[in-house]
Amino acid sequence: MNLSLTDPFTLAQDYPESTTGSLRSGHACALRFNRKGDFLAAGRADGIVVIFDVETQGVARKLKGHTRQIQSLSWSRDGRYLLTSSQDWKCNLWDLQDGSIVRSVRFEAAVYIAELHPWNHFMFVVSLFEEQPLLVDASEPQCVKLNLPSAPKRGLDEKVNEKTAAQDAKQATTVSVFTASGKHIVAGTNKGWLNIIEVETRTTIYSTKICQGVVIFLRLTSSGRDIVINSSDRIIRTIQMPNLSGDPDTIDIEVEHKFQDVVNRLSWNHVAFSSTGEYVTASTYNNHDIYIWERNHGSLVKILEGPKEEHGVVEWHPHRPLIAACGLESGRIHIWSNIPQQRWSALAPDFVEVEENVEYIEHEDEFDIHPQEEIHKRRLDLEDEDIDVLTIEPVKGLEEDDNAFRMPVQLDLQDSEGEEEFVAVGRG
Amino acid sequence: MSDFDSADGAPAPKGHRTQKRQRVYDDSEASTPRDSSPDELAEDRPYRSSKLNTRQDSGVRRRSRTSDASADELDHTYNRSRSRSTSPGTPRSPHFATDAPSPPTYKPLRLNYKQKYILRGHRKGVAQVRFSPDGRWLASCSADGTIKIWDASNGKHMRTLEGHLAGVSTIAWSPDSNTIASGSDDKAIRLWHRATGKPYPAPLLGHHNYVYSLGFSPKGNMLASGSYDEAVFLWDLRARRQMRSLPAHSDPVGGVDFIRDGTLVCSCSTDGLIRVWDTATGQCLRTLVHEDNPPVTTVRFSPNGRYILAFTLDSCIRLWDYVSGHCKKTYQGHVNTKYSLGGAFGVGGTDGFIVSGSEDGDILFWDVQNKKVVQRVSGHEGVVCWVDTCPGRSGTIASGGLDGTVRIWVDVENDLGVDNLNLDDGADYARRDSTDGMAEVKVENREDGYNDTPRDDISVDGGEQRTEQTLPDEMEED
Repeated sequence: MNLSLTDPFTLAQDYPESTTGSLRSGHACALRFNRKGDFLAAGRADGIVVIFDVETQGVARKLKGHTRQIQSLSWSRDGRYLLTSSQDWKCNLWDLQDGSIVRSVRFEAAVYIAELHPWNHFMFVVSLFEEQPLLVDASEPQCVKLNLPSAPKRGLDEKVNEKTAAQDAKQATTVSVFTASGKHIVAGTNKGWLNIIEVETRTTIYSTKICQGVVIFLRLTSSGRDIVINSSDRIIRTIQMPNLSGDPDTIDIEVEHKFQDVVNRLSWNHVAFSSTGEYVTASTYNNHDIYIWERNHGSLVKILEGPKEEHGVVEWHPHRPLIAACGLESGRIHIWSNIPQQRWSALAPDFVEVEENVEYIEHEDEFDIHPQEEIHKRRLDLEDEDIDVLTIEPVKGLEEDDNAFRMPVQLDLQDSEGEEEFVAVGRG
Repeated sequence: MSDFDSADGAPAPKGHRTQKRQRVYDDSEASTPRDSSPDELAEDRPYRSSKLNTRQDSGVRRRSRTSDASADELDHTYNRSRSRSTSPGTPRSPHFATDAPSPPTYKPLRLNYKQKYILRGHRKGVAQVRFSPDGRWLASCSADGTIKIWDASNGKHMRTLEGHLAGVSTIAWSPDSNTIASGSDDKAIRLWHRATGKPYPAPLLGHHNYVYSLGFSPKGNMLASGSYDEAVFLWDLRARRQMRSLPAHSDPVGGVDFIRDGTLVCSCSTDGLIRVWDTATGQCLRTLVHEDNPPVTTVRFSPNGRYILAFTLDSCIRLWDYVSGHCKKTYQGHVNTKYSLGGAFGVGGTDGFIVSGSEDGDILFWDVQNKKVVQRVSGHEGVVCWVDTCPGRSGTIASGGLDGTVRIWVDVENDLGVDNLNLDDGADYARRDSTDGMAEVKVENREDGYNDTPRDDISVDGGEQRTEQTLPDEMEED
């Protein structure tokens, strides 16, 4: 509700301009904001998952259950459940109501990425190291693991000869995510193929070779209409999601933009969409900068400089122009955002800020003398406006549900581990 | 000395009311003989806590310092601000209706609040009373350095929270109703478990002077505090860390409040300014000031967050549209020139009202729209410092005053409130409504402010009550 008082120029700023602080708890190596944007989950190298409160920049919860580095994080839609995957070959599903592990699923290989179904927090898809990807249904304590194909779908006219069959056998899915409806899975392979798998039948309904190298990462916008692909061929591609519900043969995927740095030939560690999907940001390999492109024209709009450190995972806040990235060496989470200037006219109500001199024209009755009582009475008589103090106007874009999950505030979270737990360096 | 001292040491005038008083929920400690009159406690016995003995300074007492001979610099600020005020003594509004609801011209807001319970136990004036967000509990804080928790539905005393070294001026409930924050003249803010009555280990330290006002953020992760040291602090409650210090005012901060979505904090001060702050950046977004510049003692956001209600020492309550920066309504009729009074928004039927105490001992209800006094009830002896409305069920308010009592009032006009109460209570209201009217209660109150006879009549159940009384204080609820 602060929007009505905020400087419109500040609101018009879509992307962050400068580094504004950092968060620290151990050595963070994975990050993810929840859908509402009030919490930031950070997976640490020691297997602990820390949940930061974005408002206070303090630790809201610590989840201990993994023994190795955290690979990926995925929030449920309501923000109550968090799926973590780790190099200890396990995925844990946490209930943030009490911080307990609802399900712990062990796999036969290290997990690259595990992603929750957008509507069903007991279903997720995992991409494993040199294994077939799995669709996991954890609604029962005995989890059901279902194999998903990695081989691309060959057209009917294409002969499945020995050579292609051998190639297909080498295909391994490196990353897989659900579409917004949750009815399909988009999977990228180590040979640069993009497969669309129907969840119900667990068959590939469409495949296309999207790039030359390995597909490193896939991320959808919050609306699910666009997808960004990071690949080892040093190009970031954005794609508009086709309509998948129709006839699979009519699906056509075309690359919308290719973002790359042709001069420095930079590789990209991690990519993320902005809150609206208008911008794409990426952290760079062997370089300190964070790049931001806009998608209308496909142009580079900003190179964020920050601490002299290479950054791994980079994430964009779901509503605000705020980027968080974790430093590979220090394990700190660096934050870029905008801090508006204090408008001095806000401090003195009878002053206004003007661009140029304004000639003051005196009102006819400005210096008329009236008795105090009359002024008071007149002022009180003017207060005849209808006032509504009760009706709550719905805020656009933010559906407020009273039953929405709220993570309990832990006031007795005092388990310090000797080390410097977290230091929020920000403007006081 | 101020009139406070009389209310301070002995919260009740002497009288032979021991018989009548036995059924009043007395919350004196378990070791106290059950049948001893609280009056004796207050007058003769030394205070239980030795800490309280030494420290005479207290939250409510401070409010009367202007009239105190031993003025310190804080008095000075109060005096200065007051002398700056040019408003005339604000005679009672001509609209003001004495007793019955004023004949409504365009809106049938009718209220008929009647006193239901008198809660005794505080040994000094009560500075604030606050309903828990779930409406089940009532917390009161007092100049005697304690906080008491009561069951809001039957007035039963649940817990006494002791630990502050000086009077407690302010309390706030966490949104989950499980934690209470309290601010005291010992400069500390403490957090308490509601269920056990135990404090969290480390108090929030950082203010250089009395903590005067507290507000929980709607998520419960932050606390805003206003202090006599002229600053507003935002605390990260999980880490017990001072997150932000807002260079708020040039005089003691009287009140702070969070907006319902937590993005804004408002604060007010005796320098006459109301400031609106952005929680995320700590920047001042708006300053409101009235021409006459009267000291502002309490601010509250309206339930929908569009307006700010400000209590000023010129006996006015103003409703500000903070976006446009204009005062939209002025509510008058009560007396408020010396103490930090506080009130609340309430709902009667479908319409909103504003309720506040008065320094003449009354509680006034205003129609939000036409600014008329809808109802005026009396009961407290002396200043009514704070009035709060029950969030869960409309039709219940609580008041606390310098006479050391907390009172619960129930609207018998709007059925809505009664319906939401449990059935026993509902039946009792019906009975009382038919037997004694409002006027009668008032007369009784005027004769003897502590006449509990009508209260006993309406109490839930005599037998049940007696059994409750025999239970030890440290009763485990939930």
